[in-house]
Amino acid sequence: MSPVPGDGAPAIEIRGLSKVYGSSETAVRAIDGIDLQIGRGEMVAIMGPSGSGKSTLLHLLGALETPTSGSIALAGRRFEGLDDRELTLLRREGIGFVFQFFNLLPSLTAEENVLLPALIAGRRDDAIAARARELLERVGLGGRASHLPAELSGGEQQRVSIARALLMEPELVLADEPTGNLDSRSEAQVLELLAELNRTEGHTIVMVTHDLDAAAVAGRVVFMRDGRIESDGLARGLLDWLRRLREELPLP
Amino acid sequence: MRARSTLRSYWGLSFRQLRARRLRVFLTVAGIVLGVGMICGVLLLAATIQRTFTDLYDSFYGKTDLVVSGSEGTGSLPASALGRVRRTEGVEDASGSIRAVTSLIGDDGRVADGRGSTLNVSGDDPGATDFTDWTTTAGREIEGGREIELEQSWAEANGIEVGDRVRLAAPAGVTGLEVVGLLRFSSGLDFGGEGFASMPLRTARRAFDKPDSFEEVEVVVTGDDEGGVQAVRDRLEREFGEGVEVATPAAKGEDVQRQLQAFNVILYFFAGMALFVGGFLIFNSFNMTVLQRMREIGMQRTLGATRPMVVRSVLLEALLLGVLGAVLGLGLGVVLALGLISLMRAIDFPVGDLELTWIAPAAAVATGLLTAVLGALNPARRAGRIAPIRAVLGSEGLRARPGPLRALAGVAMFLPGLAGAFLLGAADETTTPVVAAGIAGIIAIFFGIALIAPFLIEPLARVLSWPIRRLAPVEGRLASDSARSNPGRTAATATALMIGLALVVGINSLGSSFLNSIEREFDRSLARDLTVQPRGFSPGQGPQQTIAKGLAKEIERLPDAAVVARERLVAVPHLPRVRGGGEGPQGLLFAFDPAVYPRVDTTDLDGDGASREQVYERIGKGQVTVGKGYAEEDGIEVGDTLILEGPSDTRDARVAAIVETIFAGGQTVGLSLETLRDVFGVTADSQLALKASSDGARIQLEREVEKLVERDYPNLTVLSNDELKSDVEDQLNQSFGFFNALVGVAILASLFGIVNTLSMSVIERTREIGVLRALGATRWQIRRTIADESLVIALIGAAMGIAIGAGLGWALLKGLSFGIPGVSYQPPVGTMAGVAIAAVILGLIAAILPARRAARLDVVEALSYE
Repeated sequence: MSPVPGDGAPAIEIRGLSKVYGSSETAVRAIDGIDLQIGRGEMVAIMGPSGSGKSTLLHLLGALETPTSGSIALAGRRFEGLDDRELTLLRREGIGFVFQFFNLLPSLTAEENVLLPALIAGRRDDAIAARARELLERVGLGGRASHLPAELSGGEQQRVSIARALLMEPELVLADEPTGNLDSRSEAQVLELLAELNRTEGHTIVMVTHDLDAAAVAGRVVFMRDGRIESDGLARGLLDWLRRLREELPLP
Repeated sequence: MRARSTLRSYWGLSFRQLRARRLRVFLTVAGIVLGVGMICGVLLLAATIQRTFTDLYDSFYGKTDLVVSGSEGTGSLPASALGRVRRTEGVEDASGSIRAVTSLIGDDGRVADGRGSTLNVSGDDPGATDFTDWTTTAGREIEGGREIELEQSWAEANGIEVGDRVRLAAPAGVTGLEVVGLLRFSSGLDFGGEGFASMPLRTARRAFDKPDSFEEVEVVVTGDDEGGVQAVRDRLEREFGEGVEVATPAAKGEDVQRQLQAFNVILYFFAGMALFVGGFLIFNSFNMTVLQRMREIGMQRTLGATRPMVVRSVLLEALLLGVLGAVLGLGLGVVLALGLISLMRAIDFPVGDLELTWIAPAAAVATGLLTAVLGALNPARRAGRIAPIRAVLGSEGLRARPGPLRALAGVAMFLPGLAGAFLLGAADETTTPVVAAGIAGIIAIFFGIALIAPFLIEPLARVLSWPIRRLAPVEGRLASDSARSNPGRTAATATALMIGLALVVGINSLGSSFLNSIEREFDRSLARDLTVQPRGFSPGQGPQQTIAKGLAKEIERLPDAAVVARERLVAVPHLPRVRGGGEGPQGLLFAFDPAVYPRVDTTDLDGDGASREQVYERIGKGQVTVGKGYAEEDGIEVGDTLILEGPSDTRDARVAAIVETIFAGGQTVGLSLETLRDVFGVTADSQLALKASSDGARIQLEREVEKLVERDYPNLTVLSNDELKSDVEDQLNQSFGFFNALVGVAILASLFGIVNTLSMSVIERTREIGVLRALGATRWQIRRTIADESLVIALIGAAMGIAIGAGLGWALLKGLSFGIPGVSYQPPVGTMAGVAIAAVILGLIAAILPARRAARLDVVEALSYE
C-alpha cells in the first residue's frame, strides 16, 4: 500500500483514542483518550511501566483490536467502519508485525517464512521471490535461508521476522518488544538493523519497549502511564537526562 | 541457498502442517482408515456374495428356462406334476429331480463334524435331456443303479476318487454307492465346503424315501424369446395354483440374495459405525490442533489471511487426511473382504472368490472423504473465528465451559434417538427405510450423548478416579484434574470409545435376553427326556437333513422308550396367511402327531375356552395353532381361518389355539403330520422327541438310542435337554460373536483417539511436568500420571458405554417384544464386566507411547516451555 505521492498526510493519525475493557465497576481504561501523530519515516519508541497501555496502543495501531472510542488513520485511511475483511487486507499490504516471540511458522524454512505474506496475498511472481531473498541477505541470514526456525537462534528468528515484516513494503512496521527475549548481543544486532532500515530506507517504525537501549536507537520516545501519554519528545534529550539521573543517584 | 523456495502457495501450508506431524496424522487418520476399510470390505463382500449366487444359479441350471417347485423352495410336488408340465403348451422338454441333504460316513463309521461331510444330492433321471452346465471332469456320467457323480472339489477335499465306494447317511438309512465320475460347475464355483452330487432318480427315490414326489421340475421352452418364456410361465402358474412357484433360475438366485439383505444391512451398519467413530476422531483431533495452533493462526491473520482462507486451509488439511485415509483404507478393505469371506466360510456359508467391483472402492472413498470433511467442519469454523490478537495472546483467557444450550441440544437428540432404536426393534420387517431410521436413531443417541458428555465428565471423573486416587493419591489427583480441566476434549475422546462399547453391550443385551427367555421356555415346556436330530441341525438355514423313517419304529420297540414323538420343521418365507389378511411373515411350520405330542410338550396353549385335549383333537382333524408372535402381529385369534397353500394342495384351516412360544420369534404355525404331508408334501421327520418309561430308565434309554444311532444312522445325534439348550446357546453365540468382531474395529479406532488426546495433553502439560520433575518426581511417576489419566478417560468411556448400551439394548428389546412377546430384558452382566476390564486394558495400552514421551522430557526444556 503506497501513499499518494505528494500527500502530506502523516503515516499515523490518532484522535481521542480510548480502549476500555470490562464494564462499569470493573472497567479498565487501558487507553484513556490520547492524540498522537507519527510522520512518515519516523522511528518511535513507546515506553512505560506495565499497565501503561503501550502494548494496547500497538495492538490498536495494528488493527488487532478495535478502539472503544476515537479514531485511527493510517496514511489517511481511517480504521473505523472497516469490516474484518477490509482490515485484513489493510494489514496484508500496509502493516508489518514483529512480535516478541513465536513469530515464525515452525514447519516453514526461513525463506518460506519471509515469503509467507506474499503467498497469503496470492503473489507467486519472481519479483517478490527475489525481494524475499534480498531481504534475507539484508538481515544477514542469506546463508540460513533453508533452515527451520528450530535451527535458528532467538536473534536470528527475530531478524527473519523483520525481513518478513518488510516484504510487502508496508506503510508501517510495528514491533512489540522485539528484543525482550534476546541476549544482549542479539539485541544489539536487531536494534542496529531496525535503525539502519529506518535510516536508509525510510520505513516508519513504531516499537514498544521497556528497554532504554532500545529506546535510545529510536528518534522519538513516547512515554505512557495509566493509559495516557506523559511525554513525547526526542529520545536523546530524555535519555541524556535519565543517564545523568543514574550517575547522580547514590548507589550502595 | 536454494534457487526457489519449496512452498508455492498458501494452500501448500496444509501439506506442510501434516508432514511436520507424522504421528499425529497417523493417529488422526486411523479412524478413517478403519471406517473406509470396513465399508469397502463389506461392499466387496456383498458384491462377491451376489456374484456367487448369480454364477452358481446360472451354471447349476444351465439351459433351463423355468423351474417349477414348491413356493419359494418349500415342500415337494407330486409326481404327477411332471406330466402336467410336459403337456403344457410351449414346453419343449421337462425333467424332474428330487433333493436331499446327506452326510458322508467316514471309514471309521462316523460322520465328521462340520460342513465338509455334508453332501447335497440331486436325484436326476439319466435318460432325460441334460439341461445343465455341469462338465464331467473324470470318469463318466451316471447311467443307473447305485451310482453317484461327485462335485470335484468336494471329492478332492474328502480324498475320494473315481472308482471308490462311498457310504452316505441318507434319509432312508445308510446307502452305499459307487463313484463313477466327478463333475464341475461351469463357473468353477462350489458350495463353500458342502458338497454336491448327482445320482440316478430311481435309486435316489429309495435312498431319500421319496417314492412319488419331485422337489423341482426343470423346463425348457420352445423357441428362444423371452416373451415365450413368460407366456409358458403364466400358463404353468395357472395350471398349478398358489402353492407352486414357477421361476426363472435368475429369479431364484435373486430370492436367496434378498434373504441375505438383512445380513448385508447389518454389515453396513457396523461399517457405518466405524466410520462415524472415525469422523469423531477427526473432529476431536482438529479441535485440539486448532487450539494448539491458535497463536500460529492468529499470526497468519496478522499477515493478512482472511477468515475464509483460514477455514479453507483447515478443511484442506482434513481433505488431505481423508484422501490418505481412503487410500490406506482401500488396501485394508481388500484384506478385510478376504478375511470376511473366510470367516463366512467358517460359519458354513458358501461364498466364491473375491469380486473386485469399482463401486465398492468408489463408495468407500467418497464416504471417507465426506466424513473427514464433515468432522473438521466445526473446528474449521472455529479456526476462522480466531482473531489476529491471538498471535500475541495465544490461548489465554479462552477456557470457556460448554453452555447449557449444548446440554439441551444433547437431550433433544438423545430422546428421539432412543425412540428410533425402539422403532427399529418394533418393525415387522427389516426394510431399508426402517433400518435407515433405526440407524439414524442410534447415531442420534450417540450424538446426543456426545453433546451432553462434557457435563458428565466432572462427576464421572471424580467417581471413577477414586480407586486410582486411593492407590496413588498425588498421581491420581493430577490425572483426574487433567481430565476435568478440559471437559470438552475428555468428553470427545471418551465418547468415541463409548460408541463401540455401547454397541457391544447393546447387542449382547439382545443376546442375553433372548438366551434367558429361551432357556426359561425350555424349562417350562420341555417334557421330554431326549431329542434325536441330525448333526448341525438349524432350521431356517437352508435345506436340512432328515431322519430315516425306520429309526422311529426301531426306538419304539425299545422297552425303555415310553413315547416317540415325531416332529417336522419346515422354514417358510411366508407363513400361511389369515383369510382377509396380507402375506404372512417369515416363519416356521411345526408339525407333530397330536395324539402323541402332548406327552413330550407342556407349552401353554390358549384355545379360547377349549381344553388342551380338545385343541389337540382339533389339530388331528386338520386345524392349526399359531405362535403368539405371529398372532399378535397380524391380529389372529382363535376361530380365524388360515389359508394353507402348498405344492400338493390348498385348503383352509381353522385356528384352534394360540401358542405361548418365543421359538422362531413366535412366528410359527403348528399342524398335524398329516396336514403337512397333504398340503406341502413333506414326509420326513426333522426331530424325534423321546420320553423314557420311568426316571430310572432314562439313562438306559439314552445309551440304547445312542448305540442304535451310531450303528445305523451316524449322521444323527442324541441330545439331553441340557445339551439341547447349550446347542441353541452355541448357535446364538456364534452369530453374536461375528458381530462383536465387527464392533471391535470401531473400538480399535477409538483407541487411536485416546492416544492422540493423551499426546496432546502431554504437550499441554509440558511445563507442569517440568515442575513436577524439578520437585523430585521420578520418570516412573510421570509415566504413571499419564497412564492414570488414560485410565480415567477409558473408564469414563466404559461407564457411558455400559449405561448407553444397556439403554440401547433395552429400547431395541422393548421394540422387539412387540413382535416377540415373552422376551424380557436381561442385562448382559458378563459382557458389562468384560467391557470394564477391556477399558482398563485399552487405557493402559493407549498410555504407553505418550507416557514414555512425557517421562523423557528434559526438565530444563520443559520448564521453559511456553
